[in-house]
Formats: sequence, structure tokens, C-alpha cells
Amino acid sequence: MGKLYVEAKPSVDLNKNTEWFMYPGVWTTYIAILFVSWLLVLSVFGCTPGAAWTVVNLFHFAVTYHFFHWKKGTPFAEDQGIYNALTWWEQMDNGKQLTRNRKFLTAVPVVLYLIASHTTDYQQPMLILNTLAVFVLVVAKFPNMHKVRIFGINAGN
Amino acid sequence: MVRLPYTTALTTLFSYGLLFVFGQLRDFFRKLLGWIRKPKDQLKGYAPICLGLEDFYVRRLYLRIQDCFGRPIASAPDSWFDVVERYSNDNNKTLQRSEKTSRCLNLGSYNYLGFAAADEYCTPRVIQSLKEYSASTCSTRVEGGTTKLHVELEELVARFVGKEAAILFGMGYVTNSALIPCLIGKGGLIISDSLNHNSIVNGARGSGATVRVFQHNTPSHLEEVLREQIAEGQPRTHRPWKKIIVIVEGIYSMEGELCKLPEIIAVCKKYKAYTYLDEAHSIGAVGKSGRGVCELLGVDPADVDIMMGTFTKSFGSCGGYIAASKEIIQYLKYSCPAHLYATSMSPPAVQQVISAIKVILGEDGSSRGAQKLARIRENSNFFRSELHKMGFEVLGDNDSPVMPIMLYNPAKIPAFSRECLRQNVAVVTVAFPATPLLLARARICISASHTREDLIKALEVISKVGDLIGVKYFPAEPPKHLNQGHNKLE
Repeated sequence: MGKLYVEAKPSVDLNKNTEWFMYPGVWTTYIAILFVSWLLVLSVFGCTPGAAWTVVNLFHFAVTYHFFHWKKGTPFAEDQGIYNALTWWEQMDNGKQLTRNRKFLTAVPVVLYLIASHTTDYQQPMLILNTLAVFVLVVAKFPNMHKVRIFGINAGN
Repeated sequence: MVRLPYTTALTTLFSYGLLFVFGQLRDFFRKLLGWIRKPKDQLKGYAPICLGLEDFYVRRLYLRIQDCFGRPIASAPDSWFDVVERYSNDNNKTLQRSEKTSRCLNLGSYNYLGFAAADEYCTPRVIQSLKEYSASTCSTRVEGGTTKLHVELEELVARFVGKEAAILFGMGYVTNSALIPCLIGKGGLIISDSLNHNSIVNGARGSGATVRVFQHNTPSHLEEVLREQIAEGQPRTHRPWKKIIVIVEGIYSMEGELCKLPEIIAVCKKYKAYTYLDEAHSIGAVGKSGRGVCELLGVDPADVDIMMGTFTKSFGSCGGYIAASKEIIQYLKYSCPAHLYATSMSPPAVQQVISAIKVILGEDGSSRGAQKLARIRENSNFFRSELHKMGFEVLGDNDSPVMPIMLYNPAKIPAFSRECLRQNVAVVTVAFPATPLLLARARICISASHTREDLIKALEVISKVGDLIGVKYFPAEPPKHLNQGHNKLE
């Protein structure tokens, strides 16, 4: 099997918290993690595939909301706190909206929602939870929500 | 431009994700336990000194492999030196020094010309100047700290580099970070290479000018950025920029690459921007007579407006210099805070540089300088070609004494470092934040004092370690490799 090589160009992004997202293989890793976690949930709980997708969807909602839209700043001190008021989503691509990476990250929760609701046959308790999750995630990623803090939630340092 | 196998990219991202998840879990439990236990002597009402998430990288990733960084040494950093052994009782959170040292081959020091240890021409003169002028001038340059040696060195540096005048500073990092604010301020534009050193980034940030970054070593992108910025002018007011400075380095210390200087100078001249060349790693190490990238690439030093360099790498001393036209140096002498308020360079250090430059130029009466330059070129090219043949991914151009070997996965960093140390070869591994997150590497610095036997031993050890941890990403001879694999399985 021939090895498949990719090129990693040094990116122009100075923010070391987000520049790792520009490298090859990130999208594939993201999707692979989602798929493998679905298999894990199936094997640990032994539930129906639909319930497993719902669990993955809700877990994905909790994790991505916390790390992309709640936590602000960067996990290292070298940049002297210039990004301390911005969440990871707002720091991405230096604040430029509607880039390829942002469109991909907006599409993933929608696709997950479609898979989860299809495999549960649109039954009630799961459907409302999935819908809530995708609604919150997609609205948080709108360009108009850049740097918006509703009712001042999460505005403090 | 680094090429890596796709599966390596996936596994590296996954490993960092896993490390991140474990770090967050540990932080979560620590917060939980802290909330439950609630220590008695808490300063009420005071703001925390550092935000909990700001040092996440240091606490959860760096401290795990802390023993690979900051190893104390117990002798001069010659081609062989003594590394102090350390041990830890609490899983690398704290390290204790032991009494034992091990003699290791030095592949990490910036000892390009071999001046780091005792030298037959330099050391007696340095000891003589220590007796005459003592260890410190105890004063700033403008008060009582300018000795005869300082003036002699400034003239010598200017002559060596090919500019009209030079000014010295006590520290290489400070030369950049305290000087760029002197040259440009608010209303100016700094365009710097995306992989520039932290000192330049700090200096640019501290100057108050607008900073733009162009893609590493790509003159076409530099031209694009220049055109866009000149057309737009200053942010918000759109007035023309007060001045534009383009900052590049001679050899990029993390890539080992040479700068594409002729093309970049041509672009800057076309758009009337000033150029600032940081030759920290290239002065004294490349070029036929050691005068740096300008000599190597055939660029006239008069075309570069400001040339900066340090004495720590090729000259075995400490400190930095700026060489430029007489007017700029005179201006700096009365406006740069590192000259006005900082203590001047220590006289023995100045004498070391004077003697080293004299040896390089051949003015000490022997041909040792030319021999050293030829030897470092031979050593670097030999080492790099051998590493390529073995299948490692080595960055850097020919003739450059800095060669990073790409590791990528975070687990391979401590594996490479510790295994090499066990076999008595000391290498420097570099991870985030000095390099991008996914491109961790082991950086090898070749010296003129390495003999052919030293290099062959180093190659053997690195090859064995590379096989063990699987960093030979470009296997050169597939059929032989397959046969060997079969034998190993049986």
C-alpha cells in the first residue's frame, strides 16, 4: 500500500489556539472521532442505533458548546491575553466569517441531527432534545452572533 | 513546506485531542476537590494571579515531559559535554538533580564554529581582558561603560558585515525587542515573516505599529501584502503609512531554511519599504568567509537597511549588534533604551568576540578560520545527506548547520529525547509553542568542532532510535526494507 503524503504549509494565522485547525486531516479526524464514539456507545450500552446517535449528538452538543462557544481565551500565556474576551469560535480564522472551516463546522451538527432523528424515527423525547441541540449550535455559529453576549451571559472575564 | 503521511497527521491530531481531554478531566477533578476541601488560608477578595485556563498547556502537557527540557550541563558546551542526571519522585512535577553526570555528544548547542570551549587564540586574550577590565563595567554605555574594547568591536563588526557603523547590546533577545520600537511607532507598518522569532514578534507588538504577516519565505505573497497595505493605508483613517519595515531572518532557527533574500530585497525596493535582516543564526556560519547570508546569496549589504545579529551562536559569547548606516547608528545611540539604560556588554565577552572575528577573518595569522568554515559546511552537508538517505524527514537547505528532524506525534518527542540520552547523545526537541502545534521536531545543530567519528556515532544512534520510534517517514529503499521486516517478524 503506497503511503499517501500531504503537505503542511505554515499558516499565516498568528493565534496558536486556532492555527492547528488549518492543517490537513483535521476534518477527517473530527468525523472519525464522532463515528468511533458512536460505535463505543453502541458497544457499552447495547442500545438501539438511534439511541446511540442521540447520545452522541447530545454529548457532541455539550462538548462543542463548552469549548467553542463558552470558554474564552487561549490555554497558554504567550499571547499576553489579547484573546481573553473571545471564544474559540470567534477567534477562528481571525474573525473572518463564512470561511470553509466555519461552514464545515456548521454543517456537522446539522448532519448529526439528521442522522439522529432519522434513526430514531422522529420519536418524541429524543426529537425535542436533538432539535434543541442543533438549534442552539447553529444559531451560535451565525455571523451576526459574532461577539454577541445575550443578556450579558458569559461577558465577564 | 513539510510533507507528512496522512495517517501521521490523523494520529497526531488524535493524540493531541486525547492529551487535551485527559488534561481537562484532571482539571475538572482538581476543581472539584478544591471546592470540596476549601483550603483555610485563601486570600478573600483578591483577584487570582493567573486565570486557571491560561497555564493549561504548561500544567497538563509540558510538565508531563519536563525532563526533556532544561537539562543542566556541568561543563563547557563543546562537542562533548557533561549532562547532569535528574530524577523525579512525583511523576515529573518536580525534578531533583543528582550528583552523577554523563558524558554526551552535544548536538544541541549553537556552537557553529567551535568557539564555545577553550580556544588557543581566544581564551588567553579573554583571561587577559578579564584581569585588565574585570568581569563587568558596572555602568551603562553612556555613563562609564564604554571601554576601548567596545569601540574596537563596533568598528570590527561594521567592517566584518560590510556596513558603515554598528552598535552593541548586552543581550541578543533585547537587541530585537528594544530596537524595533525605536525605529517605528504608531502609524507605521511592520511586515514580518510568519515564522519570525519571538523577539521580533515582541518588539513589533511593543512598537505600537500595525503588524502584518506574510507567508513564510514567499516573496510573491509579500508583494501581495505590500500592495494591499499601501493601497489601503492606515486602518480607519486610510492615510498613507508613515514608514514600512519588512523583517526577515537569515536562517530560520526552527526550519534551517535560508531566506530568499534577493527576491525579497527586489520586492522591497520596488515598493520603497525598509528591510531589516536578523542574522542571528547565519552570521559567522554561512558564506565563504563567514559573512552571513548576504555573502552566500550574493546580495550587496548596502541593499539591506538594517542588519542585526547575535554573538551567541558562532562567536561563543553573548550579546547582539545592529549594523546600519552612520546616521541610523548615531540616532540609535541617543534614543535606544537598551543603549542608554542597560549595562554594557561584559569586557571579557567583548574580547571573545573580537578574537573570534579575528580568527574567522584570518587576521590572527593562521588559516584556522577558513578551516572551521570549510569544516562546518562539510559536516552539515554530510550529516544532512546521510539523514536523508536513512529516510528521515529533515528540513533545511544545503549549507545550513541547523537541521530539524520532524517527529509530529507528541509521544515521540520524549521518546526520542530520552532514548538518545540513554545512548549518550544529547539532542534538543522542540514542541509547541516554539513551533506550530502539530509540527514537533528534534533540532540538530552541527558544529565545526564535531569530528567525522562524532557524526558517524550520532548517525548510528539516531538511526537506531528512529527505527525504534518510527520517525523514518520517507523510507528510501522499499524492497530491502520489506525483507528486513520479514526477518524481524520471524
